[in-house]
Amino acid sequence: MSAADLMGPTDEATTLPRRKKRDWLFGIGLTIVVVVVILAAIGPWIAPYDPTAVTPRIVEPPPSLGEIPGLLWGSITGTLEHPPHWMGTDASGFDIFSRVISAPRIDLSIALAANGLSLLVGVLLGLLAGYYRNVATGLLMRVSDVLQSFPVFISAMILVALAGRSTVNIIIALALLYTPIYIRLTRAEVMSQKVRGYVEAARAMGNPELTVALRHVLPNSLAPALIQASVTIGFAILLTAGLSFVGAGVRPPTPEWGLMISTGANQIILGEWWPSVFPGIAISLTVFGFAVLGNALERRYDGG
Amino acid sequence: MTAAEAPMLEVRDLSVAYGVGRDAVRPIDGLSFTLRQREIVGLIGEAGSGKSTAALALMGLARPPGHIVGGQVAFEGRDLLAMDDEALRRIRGRDIGIIVQNPRGALNPMLKVGRQIGNAYRAHNKANRGDGKRRAIDMLRMVGINDPERRVDAYAHELSGGMAQRALIAMALSSMPKLLIADEPTSGLDVTIQAQFLDQMWQTVQETGSAMFLVAQELGILANYCDRVLVLQNGHIAEDAPVRQFFAAPQQPYSREILRLEQDTAEGGIASGGTVKAGAEPLVRITGLVKNFPIKGSSKVVQAVHDVDLAIAPGETLGLVGESGSGKTTVGRCLVHLTEPTGGEIRFGDRNLSGLPATALRQMRAKLQIVFQDPYDSLNPRWTIRRILREPLDLHTELSRGEKDSRSRELLEMVGVDPGLIDRRPQGLGAGMLQRLNIARAIATNPSFIVLDEPTSVLSPRAVVGLVDLLRRLQRNLGLSYLFISHDLTTVRYLCHRVAVMYLGQIVEKGSVDQVFNDPKHPYSKALLAAHLFPDPGQRRVDRQDRRELEGEIPSPIDLPKGCYLASRCPSAKPECQARPQELTILPDGRSIRCWRVATGDLADQEGLQHAV
Amino acid sequence: MLVRYIATRLVIGVAQLVGLVIAVFFLIRLLPADPVSRLVGLNPSAEAYAQAERQLGLDRPILTQLLHYLGLAPEEGPGLLQGSLGISWVTGSPIVEEIGRHLPVTIELITLSFLIAFVLAVPIGMLGALKPGGKADRGVFIYSLFAGSQPEFWWGLLFVYLFFFTLGVAPPPLGSLSPLTSPPPEITGMITVDALLAGRPDTFVEALHHLMLPVATLVFILSGPIIKMVRQNMVRALRSDFVLYAHCAGLPRWQVARYALRAAMAPSITLIGILYGFMLGGAVLVESVFSLSGIGQYSVRAVLSFDYPAIQGVVLIITGISLLIYLALDLIHAVIDPRVAY
Repeated sequence: MSAADLMGPTDEATTLPRRKKRDWLFGIGLTIVVVVVILAAIGPWIAPYDPTAVTPRIVEPPPSLGEIPGLLWGSITGTLEHPPHWMGTDASGFDIFSRVISAPRIDLSIALAANGLSLLVGVLLGLLAGYYRNVATGLLMRVSDVLQSFPVFISAMILVALAGRSTVNIIIALALLYTPIYIRLTRAEVMSQKVRGYVEAARAMGNPELTVALRHVLPNSLAPALIQASVTIGFAILLTAGLSFVGAGVRPPTPEWGLMISTGANQIILGEWWPSVFPGIAISLTVFGFAVLGNALERRYDGG
Repeated sequence: MTAAEAPMLEVRDLSVAYGVGRDAVRPIDGLSFTLRQREIVGLIGEAGSGKSTAALALMGLARPPGHIVGGQVAFEGRDLLAMDDEALRRIRGRDIGIIVQNPRGALNPMLKVGRQIGNAYRAHNKANRGDGKRRAIDMLRMVGINDPERRVDAYAHELSGGMAQRALIAMALSSMPKLLIADEPTSGLDVTIQAQFLDQMWQTVQETGSAMFLVAQELGILANYCDRVLVLQNGHIAEDAPVRQFFAAPQQPYSREILRLEQDTAEGGIASGGTVKAGAEPLVRITGLVKNFPIKGSSKVVQAVHDVDLAIAPGETLGLVGESGSGKTTVGRCLVHLTEPTGGEIRFGDRNLSGLPATALRQMRAKLQIVFQDPYDSLNPRWTIRRILREPLDLHTELSRGEKDSRSRELLEMVGVDPGLIDRRPQGLGAGMLQRLNIARAIATNPSFIVLDEPTSVLSPRAVVGLVDLLRRLQRNLGLSYLFISHDLTTVRYLCHRVAVMYLGQIVEKGSVDQVFNDPKHPYSKALLAAHLFPDPGQRRVDRQDRRELEGEIPSPIDLPKGCYLASRCPSAKPECQARPQELTILPDGRSIRCWRVATGDLADQEGLQHAV
Repeated sequence: MLVRYIATRLVIGVAQLVGLVIAVFFLIRLLPADPVSRLVGLNPSAEAYAQAERQLGLDRPILTQLLHYLGLAPEEGPGLLQGSLGISWVTGSPIVEEIGRHLPVTIELITLSFLIAFVLAVPIGMLGALKPGGKADRGVFIYSLFAGSQPEFWWGLLFVYLFFFTLGVAPPPLGSLSPLTSPPPEITGMITVDALLAGRPDTFVEALHHLMLPVATLVFILSGPIIKMVRQNMVRALRSDFVLYAHCAGLPRWQVARYALRAAMAPSITLIGILYGFMLGGAVLVESVFSLSGIGQYSVRAVLSFDYPAIQGVVLIITGISLLIYLALDLIHAVIDPRVAY
């Protein structure tokens, strides 16, 4: 079906100018994601404390609003005896601010690596399954069906806990669970693209079949998987944090948001809110940022 | 129709806008016209000129996010736009019916069509659910659906496109509206069904004193059924003329442009891209082509093409015509080996394509090209025009990068596209221009033969004129041969030297354009030509005495009859026809025909239909 | 048509379950975990180790273990085919019983959450759809995007801080009932229901009180995708050609609304099913925050103690229930939308 068919009777839809409106929501999403990416790159270096080293001050609350200007002035002029704990310290004496800005390196690399891996494998297998439909690819789809029917969180927990709680294992576990999604999305798109006129035209022009698949069908079949990826990166961050929260994720004292929330969880009943709240805000904003970005991509794609 | 008839619909300064404030665009801007009783008015305009929006606005509706921003639509003296919602609702569907494009989308996918028609009827008539269903059955029967008792319980997705179109027509007519707005109501239908429907509507208008507003893309429909023609441009009516005047002396440049080919032909101008040398050795020769498609889970096959012979000389255009399902597209695809033939031989020059190894075939493709029906679909949407045109050059030439670029620009100039567009992507370009790009790509490697698979079927009238011009010019300048596949006999007449008529996978008649168009011999060709609407108000189908049509349904291509495929529908069939397989026979005047009665002189001419084209 | 559709779906579902059982079985045995040493403690004697291994049946060939688990070797004791999920390596009690105790807690939690989320989300989603691009729609849209991308365990903790610690209107996050209350006799396993059945309205209220925060957390998280979906489907339905045509045919307003609503509900139902299935396993984090002993908590315990039969059982049961829910909702979908079974 061509775009023109989808338009149906709105023969003027094609001539309508796209409304160019400054989208502040998209701006916020983009800003969040950019900040997180930058922190992933340099977070541990700009942290005032070593994120994995204890300080002598235990469960120190963050400075009150009134203290902040003085502390700021002090840290600029270097008159303080130690750098301020902007977000307080936790029960072990870790500086929460340092850990919060160091965590993207772990959280984001897990999310990106897991998605990158599953995207790569999923897209290639999806291309294969959509382009050549035979017994082998049929079997592939059944395997992927089974994999997709796993309860995601529990399966991730099983894989990581039994394989050993390491960053690499989390990445592999998530990649394994996400791959079927990409296979399915890509396969469906390949199947709808491969019967289109431009693919026939490429064939009629004398392109070998492999060239047709790789140069024409593949690039035009990537969009659904890429859109999904931008949303799934956010969910991977949530999942990573969740694994740490139940004790099946990275090991302490790795600076990781979920782990930090988890260690602060027992204190919150006692009213010591800061060890959990600050890393939580970080996750909340980060995942929201990716969701906004994914949504913007989706709308751009749907809108032609 | 006389001017004395009372006005039924008076439209004044109607405007529709999309968006608000400075961003707003107005596809309809100051539309004014009058529609009288017993009148059929046709609306024509470029693709994207807002014809559908105009049709909808006559009901006081706009497709969201659009909205009507001003004007009057007075129906029998009452302004629809000034009415309250309930009063307007009572008029919609009861007094004014509408048939929109995309019939399948317009039907509720979750309700049986009978229920929907019944609901539409019950919205305006005192009736219970049973009455509604009975009404639905009657209406479905009226629009020519077989077995309406069963079809009322079908859902939209269970209907074919043509059937859905008719169900929608049934719904629009269920309350017998005084005014019918029809937005390309026959775009999904085959010519024979199109003619039946329009005949019926024409008759209804004449008999009941109703009126019809007909949005059309085809000049043939305007010429045959409309009393007046409106040309929509820039959101308002640019020309409003009685139909004969419109065709004889069009006023607007746009109107003159779309009628140019027709007027050339009427004045005896060149009808094709040059003359063909008599007795030349054919460039392409198809012998005994057979194509069967296997059916999944069954040992039966769909016989798409059965025993087709064709020969095309250098510089010649052969037209291949027939209704949907006749196998004409499959022939074209087999010819360029996009579909592997089941049997038969395809020779190109001195080579047999069927035996060719894959690499040799790929090399042959430089000389043997195809242009597809849907221009929006045929160009890689992610590529720039530069890259699209470079691809065939990469594959088949040894040119340097710079040479390829200059060749691409040259190609764009040859097809009449501004070379300044070379770095644009196909998206946002019009269908006509996209089709020119497809042709540019097809001729990039200097082919000698191109299959044109319905290249004009989605184009607006003006784009069709431009494309026909282009194809003729390329043929003259490059000596190309074409196989022109089309269901539009008007375009075939403009472009082809010879024509072959297909029915159910077979060629039933083959001859010069003059022979087939002016004196068709085969009963199917006769019916096809009788149903065709030529763009000439002097030859209206509704004025003809004899409008005989083929009866009944087309046999399934899975279980084909033993004898003549047409026997069950043919008005001249004899008992022998049922049993006797038909051979393609060459007549003394050079044409071929697949009908034993014609071939043996058994079918006398007076039984045939009279045509004067 | 519909019967054939159900049959096909059931067969596929069972095949999928069998595939899943085998996949899980091999997967957990392929991973480099050592459940034996986890059981016998650090530095056991070789003898104790071997004995524990024998006890768990891990010394036998893996295919024998599989046959036993599936119930294809009934002389060794009941397996899957006989309706047994095996014996927990940690507690020694039958897995079926343990899951039977924990599952109702989760079902109670997420069903209640879904009901409330649905009741709240549908009108909000429709509100957004009424005027797409308007101020209300924009707000609804941003909310749904935000709520749909939040760490639920963190919001649970925030709620605890706010409603328990600061405001004191909620009970501490320590289970389904206060430790002083004796639970009602177990009939369904869902405390609210059991309390009512036992005729103890005070226990019922107390149970609801304890469910307040976990349910609020889940409602917040769930409302995001549900609102988004309702809004999107409603916008699509309202803009569809057939709704426009219903106006053209002069149908009364209420009937047009019915056309649109039905079209919008049909695809929503599938998504609700997927979401519910997802939550069966995904509620683990909220259960963990509020110390509710649901199936999620059970699976955490099973995983962290390498209790293979329990792990297999949990995965099998959750997937099985999800598949059944998908099937049920697909059937409802098929009844609403005839295109599905076609």
